[in-house]
Amino acid sequence: MKTGLLRRAVQASTFALIAAIPVLNRKGITVLMGSLYSLAIGPLRITDPLSGVQAMIASPAVDGVLLFSILIPVLPALIFGRVFCSWVCPQNTISEIFDYISERLGVKRFESLHLAVRSRYVIMACLLVSAPLAGFPVATLVSAPGIISVQTAKYIYEGAVGLELGLIGVIILFELFVVRRAWCNYICPVGSFLGIFRFGKTMKVAFAEDKQHSCSRCLACAKACRLGLDPMGKGLYPLCHNCGACIDACAKTRGGGGPLSFKF
Amino acid sequence: MNRKLLRPPGAADEIDFAARCIRCGMCAQACPYRAIRIAGLLDGLALMGTPVIKAREVPCYLCMKCPPVCPSGALDRRLKRKQDVRMGTALINRNECLAWQGTICRSCYQSCPVFDEAIKMDSELRPVVDRKKCVGCGICENVCPVDPAAIVVAPWSRM
Repeated sequence: MKTGLLRRAVQASTFALIAAIPVLNRKGITVLMGSLYSLAIGPLRITDPLSGVQAMIASPAVDGVLLFSILIPVLPALIFGRVFCSWVCPQNTISEIFDYISERLGVKRFESLHLAVRSRYVIMACLLVSAPLAGFPVATLVSAPGIISVQTAKYIYEGAVGLELGLIGVIILFELFVVRRAWCNYICPVGSFLGIFRFGKTMKVAFAEDKQHSCSRCLACAKACRLGLDPMGKGLYPLCHNCGACIDACAKTRGGGGPLSFKF
Repeated sequence: MNRKLLRPPGAADEIDFAARCIRCGMCAQACPYRAIRIAGLLDGLALMGTPVIKAREVPCYLCMKCPPVCPSGALDRRLKRKQDVRMGTALINRNECLAWQGTICRSCYQSCPVFDEAIKMDSELRPVVDRKKCVGCGICENVCPVDPAAIVVAPWSRM
C-alpha cells in the first residue's frame, strides 16, 4: 500500500506543479520554470529526451546544454525503468482515472490489442526519421505530457487553449470506449524512448516463488495492474512501467509473503 | 522560407529555429510582458507550439529574459545586448504614415528603444528606418496611431 499512496501523492503533485509553475512565473517567481518538455530548476535543465534528440537530428546540431539536460532523465530510466510514465506523466494519471471510470461503467472495449511490442518502437522510429524530413521535432506534436503542461500554462497566461489539447480528448475517448490503455501501451513515443534505456540491472517486477513466498494464483496482481498486464507472465517488459500496484496487491493478499517484488 | 511570424530575440533563422525549438513554452513563461504567445494549429502544423510575438498586441520590450532560458538553443542564449537583437526590421508605409502625409507625428521615433538610431527623423520631420540598426522589436508598430499600423515589422529571414 505504501508505494501506491506515495505514487498517488507524486501524481497529484505533478498536476499541482503543472498549474503552479505558470502561476508563480506570472508573479515573478522563476525558480521553477517550464513544462514537461523541458523543466528548469534554478540553473538546472531537465529536458524530455525524445524532444531533445529530435531537435538535434532535425537541426542537425548538438547543443551542449540540451545534450546535458536530456541525459538527466535517462539516469532514473536506467536505474528504475519507465517510472516517469507511472509516477509523473499526467497522461498516465488521466488514463488511469478514465480506465477506472470505464471499468465502473462496464464499458465493453478491447482489453488488449495483442500487438507486437515492436509496434510502439516502429511508431517512435517513424517519428524520429520524420523529424529531419519535416524539419521540426515532430514527436513534440504528440507528446501528451508536454501538451498537457504547455496548454495548462497557455490557459493560465492567455485564457485560451490550443487545438493540441484535442489529442488528449481523443486519447481519453479511445481508451474509454475502444481499447484499454491504448496510448500508454501501444503508441506513446515519449514512453517508448524512455524504454530504450533498460538493461539487465534496471529495476523490474520479479516473480519468484520459494517456500516463504508462495503464489496462490489469486490473480490480485493482474487485476491491480492499471495497464492490463499479467505480472506473473513473461513479456511484462517493455510495457510495464514499474508503478508497483501489482506488488502492493500481492503483498496485501499474501500478507507480505507474496512472490512479487521489485528487483534490480 | 519567408518568415511570417515574429520570433523572440535571439531566434535562429526560421528553418533552423523550427528544427531546434522543442515547443516547451519556457520563453513565453519567462516573458514578463506576455508578449510571447504560443502558436496554435491554425498557424500551421509545423509551427504549432512555437513562440510568436504579435507586435500590434504586445511588442517585445527587449528585457532579454527569454534567450537565456531556452533549453534547446533555438534562441541564442549568449545574446545579452538589446542592440544586437535582429528579430526583423520595421517598414514604413509612406502612403499611410501621418508624418509622411504631412501631419506632425513622432510616435514611432519617440518610442524606439534604439533611440534616434534605428528610426531617425529626416530634414522634413518624417521617420526613416535604418535597417542596420533596427532590432525589430515592434514597439513602433505597437504605438503607431494609424490603424492598421503604418509601420510594421517584417520578420527577418536570413535566407
